[in-house]
Amino acid sequence: MSQTECGTVREFLPDFAAGRLGLEQLRAIEAHLPSCTECRAELELIRVLLEAPPVVPDRLADEVVSAVRMSRRSVRRPWWGISAAAIAAIALGIGISTDRPGTVLGPVPDFASEADEGEAWLSDDGLLAGAPSIDGLSDEALLELLEELSGEGAA
Amino acid sequence: MTDDSRSDNEVSDAELIERARLADDAALDLLVRRHHASAYRVALSITRRDDVAQDVVQDAFIKAFRALSGFRGDASFRTWMMTITANEARATLRKRGRWSESAIDDVGPIAADEPDPAEQVVSGHESARARALLETLPEKQRLSVSLRIDDGLSFREIGEMIGSSEGAARVNYFHGIRRLRELME
Repeated sequence: MSQTECGTVREFLPDFAAGRLGLEQLRAIEAHLPSCTECRAELELIRVLLEAPPVVPDRLADEVVSAVRMSRRSVRRPWWGISAAAIAAIALGIGISTDRPGTVLGPVPDFASEADEGEAWLSDDGLLAGAPSIDGLSDEALLELLEELSGEGAA
Repeated sequence: MTDDSRSDNEVSDAELIERARLADDAALDLLVRRHHASAYRVALSITRRDDVAQDVVQDAFIKAFRALSGFRGDASFRTWMMTITANEARATLRKRGRWSESAIDDVGPIAADEPDPAEQVVSGHESARARALLETLPEKQRLSVSLRIDDGLSFREIGEMIGSSEGAARVNYFHGIRRLRELME
């Protein structure tokens, strides 16, 4: 057999050993092997390796799924929660930055448009920019804050 | 299971990714179950520790799904996921101060605080011995052999994963195989 043929066969020996080849390639390699000691030896090594693949822990998939879901919950917020955060940030900005009343209004439409329910993977930066002081508050606390600020405004 | 009449196996990765982008939990779960084994093998091949590899796989999936909007489909999702896992595994090793990457053709030494896998082989079981010897190869050879044999990746895909060309991946694979045969004799 030629070196070229041998080189091609060797590339596909892992697929041959693992049963990943189509019939045509399978037959080509089967035809080559009887006359090639090197390829047979290499195939034997590959088969030996395939007999003991790394064992994937049984519970790994479940654990990864759980971790991913927990991670998503920590990032995703209901639309009203995001809106409350954004509105509270604006309200805080109006209340505190009385010397620059218009400067905090710029991002508002963007936050509002990003706060759709389907936006599950918005980054923290995207959601919280402009409102770092209320990041640690719960949704309930944010609503209370908003109501309080509204009350102050009305008074 | 998906919410239509098709089995999970009939749903493509591309479709699952589209659904995952719309916050479909079932699609995300299925992507994990479909690709966690490949990711684990990559992580284990780099870290050589089961517990570290499992942590790496978790972190890699979390990061991948957060970055899903940036996945453009230039590579397969599996290759993309495995590449993220490999990067996460290397970053983890660096953080732990145990990084010992070797050059492409080196038969690199095992880190001093690591037990030599070859010495751990006490049984005469040939497959276990071959696997243990595989762990003694430099990372790129080790990954190339493992990804080609265990996961059936093409040399182009392996090249993407180890950060080299298709040709370099091929060279790493054949050097690894040749070295393994020498060690097995």
